[in-house]
Amino acid sequence: MTTHHPSDDEFDASDASLTRFDLVKEGARRDGVQIVHYAPRFPVPGTRAERRIERVLSFLFLLTGLMGTAFVVAYIAWPWKYGEGDSTYRALFPYYTPVLGATLGLCLLSLGLGIVVWSKKLLPEEVSIQERHDGPSDSTEQVLTAATILNMGDELGLKRRRFVGLAFLAGAAPLGAVAGALLVGSLIKAPTQDGENVFFTTGWDPKHNDGKPVRLTHEDGTPIRPADVSVGGQITVFPGIPHGATNKWADSPTLLIHLREQDAELTKKQAKELNHGSQWQNFVAYSKICTHAGCPASLYEQQTNRLLCPCHQSQFQITDNARPIFGPASRALPQLPITVDDEGYFIATQDYKIPVGPAFWERP
Amino acid sequence: MTSEQSKRPLARLVPGGARAARGKLRRRLSAAVRLVAALTLAGGLYTAYAPGVGRAEETVKLSDAAANGKAIYEVSCITCHGRNAQGVENRGPSLIGVGSAAVEFQVNTGRMPLARQEAQAERKTPQFDESQAAELGAYIQELGGGPQLPSAESLDEQVKQARGSDKILAHGGELYRVNCSSCHAFSTGGGALSSGKFAPSLQHSTNRDIYAAMLTGPQNMPVFGNNQLSPDDKAAIIAYIQDLNKNEAADPGGWALGRYGPVPEGLVIFLVGIAALVFATLWIAGKS
Amino acid sequence: MKRRKIDVRALPANSARALDERFQAATPLRRLMNKVFPDHWSFLLGEIALYSFIVLLLSGIFLALFFDPSLREVVYDGSYAPLRGVEMSQAYNTALHISFDVRGGLFMRQMHHWAALLFMAAIVVHMFRVFFTGAFRKPREANWIVGVLLFWMGFLEGFGGYSLPDDALSGTGLRIASAIMLSIPIVGTWVTTSLFGGEFPGEVILDRLYIVHVLLVPGALLGLISVHMGLLVKQKHTQWPGPGRTNNNVVGVRMFPGFAAKAGGFFMIVFAMIAALAGLFQINPIWLFGPYKAAVVSAASQPDWYVMFLDGSTRLFPAWEIRFDFFYGDGYTIPPIFWPTVVLPGILTMLPIFYPFIEARFSKDKEVHNLLQRPRDNPLRTALGAMAIAFYVVLLISGGNDVVADKFHISLNAMTWAGRIGILIVPPLAYYVAFRVALGLQQHDREVLAHGVETGIIRRLPDGKFVEIHQPLPSGNGHGPSDEEAHHGLEYGGWVVPKKMNRLGALAPTVKGFFYPIEKAGPAPKPRQLDDDRDREEITSGH
Repeated sequence: MTTHHPSDDEFDASDASLTRFDLVKEGARRDGVQIVHYAPRFPVPGTRAERRIERVLSFLFLLTGLMGTAFVVAYIAWPWKYGEGDSTYRALFPYYTPVLGATLGLCLLSLGLGIVVWSKKLLPEEVSIQERHDGPSDSTEQVLTAATILNMGDELGLKRRRFVGLAFLAGAAPLGAVAGALLVGSLIKAPTQDGENVFFTTGWDPKHNDGKPVRLTHEDGTPIRPADVSVGGQITVFPGIPHGATNKWADSPTLLIHLREQDAELTKKQAKELNHGSQWQNFVAYSKICTHAGCPASLYEQQTNRLLCPCHQSQFQITDNARPIFGPASRALPQLPITVDDEGYFIATQDYKIPVGPAFWERP
Repeated sequence: MTSEQSKRPLARLVPGGARAARGKLRRRLSAAVRLVAALTLAGGLYTAYAPGVGRAEETVKLSDAAANGKAIYEVSCITCHGRNAQGVENRGPSLIGVGSAAVEFQVNTGRMPLARQEAQAERKTPQFDESQAAELGAYIQELGGGPQLPSAESLDEQVKQARGSDKILAHGGELYRVNCSSCHAFSTGGGALSSGKFAPSLQHSTNRDIYAAMLTGPQNMPVFGNNQLSPDDKAAIIAYIQDLNKNEAADPGGWALGRYGPVPEGLVIFLVGIAALVFATLWIAGKS
Repeated sequence: MKRRKIDVRALPANSARALDERFQAATPLRRLMNKVFPDHWSFLLGEIALYSFIVLLLSGIFLALFFDPSLREVVYDGSYAPLRGVEMSQAYNTALHISFDVRGGLFMRQMHHWAALLFMAAIVVHMFRVFFTGAFRKPREANWIVGVLLFWMGFLEGFGGYSLPDDALSGTGLRIASAIMLSIPIVGTWVTTSLFGGEFPGEVILDRLYIVHVLLVPGALLGLISVHMGLLVKQKHTQWPGPGRTNNNVVGVRMFPGFAAKAGGFFMIVFAMIAALAGLFQINPIWLFGPYKAAVVSAASQPDWYVMFLDGSTRLFPAWEIRFDFFYGDGYTIPPIFWPTVVLPGILTMLPIFYPFIEARFSKDKEVHNLLQRPRDNPLRTALGAMAIAFYVVLLISGGNDVVADKFHISLNAMTWAGRIGILIVPPLAYYVAFRVALGLQQHDREVLAHGVETGIIRRLPDGKFVEIHQPLPSGNGHGPSDEEAHHGLEYGGWVVPKKMNRLGALAPTVKGFFYPIEKAGPAPKPRQLDDDRDREEITSGH
C-alpha cells in the first residue's frame, strides 16, 4: 500500500517516530502480508453503540461465569444416584444429566458468543493480503537437491561394492520379516480345533456331551418337554452342555417351534432330503443364527410361519425348510434334527448337518 | 354342528324337488322357474331351521354375563366370526377354544371389531367398555373354553410387587430380552415385521393386555402359554416393561428420542447439531 | 547478600528476550501470527470436526479411567435395579458403572458419543464443501486423500467405540463384522479366527479392540490431522474469487487476533453444542439393551449413522451368492454380504482418492488452483457430486428402513424394494437435475451481467410495448461499465453476481442482517493494491 518499500536493511526499528502499528505493518510486510484496510470499529470512544456492545459482552462473560458456577453446583448438589433417596430426590434425578448439559452448554455458548462478538464488533475491520509462493522450487534448487540425493549413493559406493549392498539387503530382509512374523504369528489362529473346522460344528455335537445326544434346554439349563411349548409358540433353546447358553456357544442358539397341525404336515411334505426326519411330530428346530450376517433371526410370525431377521430383513419360510424368501440371505436356516428321549425331553439326534451362521469361502 | 344341520336338509330336498319336475321338454323352459323355487325353498328352510338351532343351543345353559355377551356378539361379531363363533371362510377365524383371554385382549385394545381388512389389526379406541368385553369373553369361554386371564386387580397387585423386587425385575428383563425384544425392541417401542405387519409398541399397554397377548398369541405373535412362561414369569416380564415405560428414571440421559436408537440419533446430529452450527458459521463469517 | 529487585514491568520483555536467545522464535512466531486466513462460512465446517476431535480426546480420557474392556463374566451389582444380579461381561459392567455410579459419568459418555457423531457428520459436510468447490484440485490432492483417510479412520474409531460397551447392540454389530470378515474369499475364516482369537466372539476381541480404539486409531487420527493441518498451513487456504483475490494471494484477516478469536469462539460454540446434546438428548442407552448374548436381538438394530449406509447397502443387496463347484471337493462360496460390505467400501475409498487425478486428466487441467469454483461453474462435477450424495442417501435411508417402515406404516418389503429400485434410479436423476440447475444458474448470472439487475419496474413504451427496466451493474472499478462492457456485458468473475438492487455496489456478498438486510450495503473494500493490470486480469479469469 505504501509506495515506498524500504528494504529490510534500511528499516530502523528504533526510530522513535514510528508508531506501534507502523512496526506491525513492517513486520507483516516482511512476512509477505499487506494490511490493505484497517479501520477501528469505533473511532470515537464512548459512543452509545460502543457502550451497548460492551454491555452485551460483559453480560455474556458474566453469564459464562454464572453458568459455570451453576454447573459445578448442580454437579455436586443435584440428585444423581439412580433409585436412591426420597421422592423429591427421585423426582429430580432424571434431570441431573439435562441440567449438566444445559448449564455447561450455556456456559460455553455465552463464552463463544462473547469471543466472536468481541472479534466481530470491537476488533478493527481488517483486510490483509498475503502473497502465495506456489509452484515448484527454483530449478537450480531442484538440481542441487537431486545431486545431494544421488551423491549419497556414490558415497556409499554401492556400485563399487555391489556384494556388500546385496549382503545388506539379504540381512535386512529377515529383519523386516521379524516384525511381520511377530505381528502375524502372534495373532494368527487357524479356524480349526482338534482337527475340525470350528465353523462346521456347534454345541449340539454329541462329542460335547460325552457322546450322548444333547438335550434342548432353556437358558437356565433345564430341559424342555413337548408340553412346554404351546401350538403357535416358539422358544429359544440352547444345547444342554456346560455353559451351553453362554457366548462360548454363540453359534448354537436354536429356535424350537411348535407348528399348527396343518403347517406341520406341510413342513413335513416340503422337507428336502437333507431335512428328512429332522422334524418331531409338530415341532421343528432351526438355527437362530441368520445365514446372512449371523444376527439372531428370531422374529417369528406364527400365522404366516415366516421368520424375519431384524438386522437386514432376510425372511425365511419355516414351512419350506426355512428357505430365504426375501432379503439378502441366500441360504436356508439349517434344521436341527430333534426327537424326544426316553424321559420325554427334547434331544438333538446329531449336530446340524450343515454349517450354521454366515457363509464363508470353504462352505459347501 | 349348525352348518352341518342346515346343509343336510338342503342337499336332500332341493334335488328331490327337481326330480319331481323332470321332463324332457319342460326342462329347459322351467330352468329359471326351478332355480327360483330352489332358492326360495333353501332360504325358507334355512330361516325355518336356523332359529331351531338357536333354540337347541340355548338349552346349553349360559350364565347371565355370557348371555349378555352373546347379544353383543350377534350384533357386532357375527358377520366375520359366524354363528356360534364357528368362523367364516376368508373373513374371520373360528373362536372356539381361543378363550376369554383372546377376546378381552382383542376387544379391550380396540383391535376388534375390525375396521377393515389390513395386513394387521391396529390398536384403536375400543368400541366396548371393559365389562362388555368381559361379557363377550364369557360367552366365547362358555362356548369353547380356552385360556383365561387373571383378574385385573390380582395381576396389577402381582406386577406391583414384582416391580418392587430387583431380582424379579432383572429376571423379567432377561426373559424380555430373549423372548420379546426381537420384535418389540429393547425399548418396548415395537418394530416392523414382514410385508406391512408389525409388532406394536408396548408403551401404552395395560398389564392385562400384555398378559393376554403372551397367553394367546394374537395375530402373528407366537403363543407364550403358561407351560412356557409361567404366570410368575409373565408378571416379571410385565413388571420389566412397565418399569421401562413408567419409571422416569429409565431415561436419565435427557430426551430419549422415542428410544428408536441410532436412526433418530443420526437425524438429531444433522437437524440439530450440524444445522445449528452451520447457522453459527454463517453468523461468524458474516459481515459485521 | 544484596537482594536484587525484580523489575516487574520489564519482566515480559526480558522473558521474551531470554526465550528468543534460546529458540530464535521472533521471526517464525510473527510469521505465524501474521498468517492470513480467508473468511467464509463454508471454511469453518472442517473446524467443527477438529473441535469435536478435541472433545473426543478429552471425554475419552475420562471414560478410559473407568472402563475395563474385559470379557470376564461378572454379576452386576450396581445402581441400575433392573439389571442387578444379571451375569455380564466386565466391559458392560464398567460401562454401566460409568453411566450410573460415576458422578457425571453418563454425561461424559453421552458427550463422547455425540461428539463422535458430530465429528463424522462434520467430516462429511466438510468433504462436500471441498468437493463442490473444487478445493481438492492441484496442489491439494494429497490433502484431499488425507481427508478421505480421515473419514475411514473415524469410521473405524466410531465402530470400535460402538462395540466396546458389550451391550446387545455392540455384540450384534461385532457379529456382523465377523460375518463380513468371514465372507472374504479364501482367507475369510483365517482372518476371522485370527482377529477374534477363535470362533466368534472368543475372549480377546474387546481387549484388542480397546487398544485399537484408544491408541492405534486415535494415534493415526492425530497424525493424519497434523498432516492435514500442516499441509493447510503450508499450502495456505483456498479462497473464493472476488475483488483483489487472485490465484497468487490470500485475502482475509491475519491469524492473530482476528481469525484466532473467531476460531476460538467457534470452538466454544461447538463445545457448547456437544455439551447441550450430551445433556438434553439421550444417546445409546446401553442399560436398555442388556448384556450381549448370541440369542438376543432387538427390532431396529442399527449401527451409528456413519456406518448406516453400509448397513443399507447390505440390506438392499440381492441374495446373489457365487459358487465355485469343481469336479472334486465341496466347492467354494462367495456370500452375498461380501459385495456390499467389502467391495463397495473398497470402491468408495478408491474412487474419491483418485477423483482429483481423474478430473484433472479428463479436463486436461494441470494448473495450480487457489481460487475456488462455484458449484454452478462446473456442472459436471456438481452433477457427479449430487449423484454420489443421492447414492449415499438412498443407502443411508435403507440402513434405517425398518424404522421408517414401522413409524410410517409402510411395508418393510416395500421399503427394501424402493431402496433397490431407488439406488438405480435416484442417482442418475440427481445427476440430471443438478446439471440442469447448475446450467440454469449460470444462465441467470449471464443475463444479469449482460442486462443488469431486474428492478421489477415495468415501463410502457410509446409504441405500447411493455419492458422491464434493468439496472446495469457497475463494473469492477466502480466507474460504470466501459464501452466495450456496455456492448458485450460484464465478464463473469467466478463469484456472486448481485441480483437484488440493494446489493448493487456491494462487492462483498453479505449484507448486514441475517434474514433481511438491515442496512445499506457498505462500500466495497477499496482494491488499493490493484494498481497494475496484471492482477485484474487474474481476477476476471478466476478459476
